[in-house]
Amino acid sequence: MSEPVEDSPGAAFAAALAGLPGMGPATLVAILRQWPPEEAWARVCEGSLRRPDARGRRAESEQFAWSDDGHPRQPKPAWRDAAGRLDPPQWWAYHAARGIRVTWPGQPSYPRALAMDHQLPGVLFWRGSLAWLDSPCVALVGTRRASPDGRAVAFEMGRDLAGAGVCVVSGLALGIDAAAHLGALRAGEQTGAAGPVGVAASGVDVVYPRQHARLWGQVVAAGAVLSENLPGRPAQAWRFPSRNRVIAGLVKMVVVVESHSTGGSLITAEAAIARGIDVRVVPGPVHSPASVGSNQLLYDGPGPVRNAQDVLDGLGLFLSAAKDRGAPATSRTENLGAEARTVLDAVGWRPTSLNQIVERPGLTAARAMALLDDLEARGLVGRHHDWWVRRRPS
Amino acid sequence: MLATVSSAILTGVEGRPISVEVHVSTGIPSFTVVGLPDASCREARDRVRAAILSSGLKWPQHRVTVNLAPTGVRKGGAGLDLPIAVALLAADGQLPLESLGGMGFLGELGLDGSVRRVPGTLALVDAIPARCVVVPASGAAEAALVRRHVVRPTPGLRHLAAILRGEDGWPPIMAADQPTPDRPRPDLIDVRGQPLGRLAVEVAAAGGHHLLLVGPPGAGKTMLAERLGGLLPPLDTDEALEVTRIHSAAGIHLPQGTLIRRPPYRAPHHTASLVSLIGGGGVYMRPGELSCAHNGVLFLDELAEFPSDVLDTLRQPLEEGRVLVCRARASVVFPARVLLVAAMNPCPCGSERGPGSCRCRDATRYRYSARVSGPFLDRFDLRVMVDRPEVSELLPPGGEWATPESTATVGARVAAARLVAGGRGVRDNAAIPGSRLDELAPLQAGARLLLETRLRQGRLSARGLHRVRRVARTLADLEGSTGPVGADHVYGALALRAEVFQPEEAAG
Repeated sequence: MSEPVEDSPGAAFAAALAGLPGMGPATLVAILRQWPPEEAWARVCEGSLRRPDARGRRAESEQFAWSDDGHPRQPKPAWRDAAGRLDPPQWWAYHAARGIRVTWPGQPSYPRALAMDHQLPGVLFWRGSLAWLDSPCVALVGTRRASPDGRAVAFEMGRDLAGAGVCVVSGLALGIDAAAHLGALRAGEQTGAAGPVGVAASGVDVVYPRQHARLWGQVVAAGAVLSENLPGRPAQAWRFPSRNRVIAGLVKMVVVVESHSTGGSLITAEAAIARGIDVRVVPGPVHSPASVGSNQLLYDGPGPVRNAQDVLDGLGLFLSAAKDRGAPATSRTENLGAEARTVLDAVGWRPTSLNQIVERPGLTAARAMALLDDLEARGLVGRHHDWWVRRRPS
Repeated sequence: MLATVSSAILTGVEGRPISVEVHVSTGIPSFTVVGLPDASCREARDRVRAAILSSGLKWPQHRVTVNLAPTGVRKGGAGLDLPIAVALLAADGQLPLESLGGMGFLGELGLDGSVRRVPGTLALVDAIPARCVVVPASGAAEAALVRRHVVRPTPGLRHLAAILRGEDGWPPIMAADQPTPDRPRPDLIDVRGQPLGRLAVEVAAAGGHHLLLVGPPGAGKTMLAERLGGLLPPLDTDEALEVTRIHSAAGIHLPQGTLIRRPPYRAPHHTASLVSLIGGGGVYMRPGELSCAHNGVLFLDELAEFPSDVLDTLRQPLEEGRVLVCRARASVVFPARVLLVAAMNPCPCGSERGPGSCRCRDATRYRYSARVSGPFLDRFDLRVMVDRPEVSELLPPGGEWATPESTATVGARVAAARLVAGGRGVRDNAAIPGSRLDELAPLQAGARLLLETRLRQGRLSARGLHRVRRVARTLADLEGSTGPVGADHVYGALALRAEVFQPEEAAG
């Protein structure tokens, strides 16, 4: 459900300005702070717009017509040429008809959290509804190559946070990001839940990764997908770190669910720390390669969180309907036979191959398979390709 | 004067009778070979001349024409050296013509007059229509395996000429019939841990199911595959003769004077070309590695490194147990009934120890697994993930381990199970046709319910169902239960059917 927002008249020109060659966020912000988009565009067309200093000092006033290194600032001819080839209203009508909206600093729809940022995006394109960003926002980020356990944590956390009215922000990537979005979407089925917001590194109409086409559609329908990049721009490696700073800027807290020793989620965490935004980490198994980075981060300082309740505590919020989080794991395993218990112990909490399970004395492959089938039906173990892992029944 | 002797040439693994006719007449001295000889055959002229002169015989100063009949067939190889030399000497009057009656000859000549063994002796001798065959001494034992001819060994041309003139007697065949002691084969007793891998190898041997081992480097995939050959029962006489004939034609070293009784084990490197695997090439059409592994094990290590078109050409021969190789000049049927064992890494970096643990990108992993096509992957009834043993499995924590089962113990179970399977009128359980599964591998109620559930959940395909049922039949045979297949056996079969490759599930 997209908002029935009428684009403000300058939308087409603001978007067109963002598409000028070599236009970066700082320059764009400086231009848009100085002139309304239509006027800025007119100046570009006539070739009289001098590129403002990136820090936003007025280029028109005589004293700043010279850059720091003493050369006069010239209008960029490339901008004028590019502007001459484009009719912004016609071009933008195409995208607007496809549900794409744009906002820039100073507009009422521009996210308030970002407006205060020191590296704020010059424009933001979005599909869906940005209203969700007015609720408290939490970013759930993590590795693309996640363990089943990490996925489960991200899913549950996304579900419970969204259910508590917290807007879950993530990056629409494989692994943890997708699980967090899916969890938030699951919660969207109940009332009072907040919609998810996905921040893309590509244009909002370029699905990346491609197998997430359905997920994008669902997120747009229930929440919003936004991006500072022009519609149609592909996902390129250098766009991801700047995407991550947008995520960090949008939220009150960044939760790193699982991260390899290097990874984009660590960049998001760094960006959040630089902004004084809370970072929390979900502890992972010490031996798991998928948790090396997140555990290192945890060791370096940020506190741990175990579930949505911990996140809400950190935000100073309360879970509306406190869920019973007793110890179901033990009660559900009580009526298991000795053999099944052996298998359950052999599976353990990290991914285990069938080979390792069958190595337990007294178990044949057939028997182990039968017991695993039963345990899986009871929801006590999960299967991921050919790896088995114990699950907490929920 | 004209002399004719019979000999044979090799096409694929079959011999083809050739009649060598030599005509010596007056005229300008010359030596011509006609009848489509290839380069190696035309070179016979120089070898024959040198051998005759070295053996103290006379080179005729006449016009000599050698014809190789039938003339329409291309002839290659040096096996015709000896028949050409003998026929030439007879035509020149240096040997009595009547001494050649009912004799066939086979062998390559050295310049000193010695006679050398040629590849494919077994098949060649089989094809020679004569009653008595003269072969090089080193190939006599092999030639004797045919058991239809009187086999006469000859050490050299000089000696042979003396015998044919009646000045000497035939030397006896060297009593080489004592089997050379087999090289010790790797034994299953050396494999620590790997319960699933051991079971898979046993089931593969018992039911003839193709086996795919997936695991990181150093997990023991090759170790398991090498031990599979030892589990197969020894070949019976017909099989042994067939295998020996193929190996002889391919020029592979044969055990001295005996049939190949052990199922062969061939492990071609992944740079193997298409023709070298399937067979063909040259005038002879040499059998490929696939045929060399006939009645034994073909092991393809690093399966994903094989070019995919090479792998896909294996599909049809694997199904049919033979391969028809056609060229413009000839088409040859090679036997190709093998037990295929393949090994590969789960991903290019090979360090996977659980989901999320390796650093390969999803796209990379997907591309890697896609190198093995779906239909080819489908040929494997058994797919097993082998992981690196833990430290505690390699070094005993305190005392000793229980000794693992040896090849002899497991082999006995395999032989018993194969006997049961053979009683059903099929070669092995993997060959049970889908239409006869209900008759030969009926299901107990529990097993039926389990399979129905899996099918309904979409976790088993219709084709997968047949394969699981065949493997379950083998598991039942190994346990000695001849009745309907139980749920236990189906569970076992499912345990041996890992979902090795699945592209990362789309979250959306």
